[in-house]
Amino acid sequence: MRNKNHIERHYTKWGYFFIIPFVVVFLAFNFWPLASTLYYAFCDLKHAGNTHPDFLPSIGKPLFKNFTEVLKAKYFHSALKNSFFFFLASTIPEWLLAFWLAAMMTDRRMRIKGRFIWKTAFFFPKLIAGTALAGSLLIQFISIVANGTGYSVAAFAMNGFGITADDMKFFTSVQFIIIVVSIFMHFGITFIYAVAGITGIPVETFEAAEIDGATRTSIFFRITLPCIKPMLFFITVVSVVDGIGMYDLPSYFGSFDTTRSNLTLMMYMQNQAFQGSYAYDKASAISLIILGIYIILAVIIYFILLRDKDEIQLKKLIRQERRELKKGI
Amino acid sequence: MSTNEVSLTAEKKKTIGLKIVTYIVSVLLALMVLLPFISMIREIFGDEVVILPTASGNFTVVTKPRETMMTWKEFTQLFNKPTWTAFGNLVLVTVTSTILNIYFSAITAYAITAYEWKLREAFEKFIIVTMMIPGTVASIGFVQMCYKFHLANNLVMLIIPAIATPMTVFFMRMYLKATFSKEVVESARIDGAGEFRIFNQIMLPLMKPAIATQTIFCFVASWSNSWVPSIILIDDKVKTLNVLNYTSATYVRGAELLMCIPPVLVYLFLSKHIVEGVALGSVKA
Repeated sequence: MRNKNHIERHYTKWGYFFIIPFVVVFLAFNFWPLASTLYYAFCDLKHAGNTHPDFLPSIGKPLFKNFTEVLKAKYFHSALKNSFFFFLASTIPEWLLAFWLAAMMTDRRMRIKGRFIWKTAFFFPKLIAGTALAGSLLIQFISIVANGTGYSVAAFAMNGFGITADDMKFFTSVQFIIIVVSIFMHFGITFIYAVAGITGIPVETFEAAEIDGATRTSIFFRITLPCIKPMLFFITVVSVVDGIGMYDLPSYFGSFDTTRSNLTLMMYMQNQAFQGSYAYDKASAISLIILGIYIILAVIIYFILLRDKDEIQLKKLIRQERRELKKGI
Repeated sequence: MSTNEVSLTAEKKKTIGLKIVTYIVSVLLALMVLLPFISMIREIFGDEVVILPTASGNFTVVTKPRETMMTWKEFTQLFNKPTWTAFGNLVLVTVTSTILNIYFSAITAYAITAYEWKLREAFEKFIIVTMMIPGTVASIGFVQMCYKFHLANNLVMLIIPAIATPMTVFFMRMYLKATFSKEVVESARIDGAGEFRIFNQIMLPLMKPAIATQTIFCFVASWSNSWVPSIILIDDKVKTLNVLNYTSATYVRGAELLMCIPPVLVYLFLSKHIVEGVALGSVKA
């Protein structure tokens, strides 16, 4: 026993050795930029290519000047609102569609054929439209469709049901098109992960539920969802990162947008930093606010999805036992 | 007995109904995939599409007929020298960063799984936390760093950071958690293989499905990454293809076709593994 422990210890140093590249690069290219962003948020740093930040109190200005300026700005409020609007409006339908399709495709009783073809087809938009340019083309095409059909539907509806043109306005707006394209581009990846998660569940589980007479909906909510929790966590993180940090789709319309109805937080940060006044300091402050939002959401996701209550209790018990053992000795 | 039969046929009817709905939705969604291709061909050969702003913040789309149809010679001239240089740069950046990303993520995940070092659990938690913070948040600091050390216009700045990608590490870790067996490593040790060799010659081939899956995702992410490159790459010689699209209007049309081809090729080569790769990774050990 003792000998084996010794051998194990002899090998553990390789664990540290293997993570060295990751840690070094992480510190240099992720941690250092993040830390310096934190510092710039309390500095005065403007004009393109300027690399000499002045710490705010040292030039006689209040420490939180950048933050107060950002929080006061009218555009910041609309950006915050739009970010959450885009995030929720695109994620919820996307999840419903992706999970519904995944549940149907993996249903044993239905035996849908050609699963591989569907998977490829749904992943395709991400594959090609993920490249910035094809996305813009997609928007152009859909905008034409939306303009044409939207107006005719509106005209038709106004005839009989007392619906005015204003009610239909949302469906011809830029926001609506952005949401549609965003759903279309991201649902494939959610679908693939969901299918993968579901096929990882042992078939016997479903068989047992079917014999007990469970309906499809109750199987989905009581068995499928709890069983794919780790995958669900991964999907949620990807959705949050993509949704709150959305900038590529709305920014295609950036130069046409006069009322800032599709300005997102990320776009606002980029506009501040690399256009016009090149206000790196204000942009850093916005970055930190975005970071705060991510952290809050991450904590919520963690507590809902990943925290294993049984495991925590088990650890508590082990600790208690150890303490008692020590007392006994 | 008869009631049972009735409920059975009702169930069957319901199943068939759902089946039809599923097929219809799937076919419609799959047809929608063709839209970008159609609009791309229109862009090259068809009418010119112009988006104009309106007062309310919306826009209208105006199509201007092009005077003459584009000829084949004109079409081939779109693929000019700057386009090919930019294409080469993008391929270089994407391929090297994908290889680095996959290899070092795999080795990091292996270190967490195979060795019982002290900070192992803390490190795994750390990976999960950093996974939820995308790199774009720190982009100001990153760009400032490039300016400060005179590394703007250097493709290395786009390649090296790929070594530390928490998302890939997390995925590889999920896969290893489900498939890793200590016996394989131990028997290799008895045969006298070094730790590094065990990883390279035994573990890497075993992780093939996870590697194939993540290669596709990393390739696409790196290939379409355009925002930070468009700021730090200013010189024409180092511009990548998507930056070229971002900043100039003249080469755009030839470039957009080139942009689509490589991700599709990579997908076709690796798609065989993508299904089992994700499926195996999801099983909780």
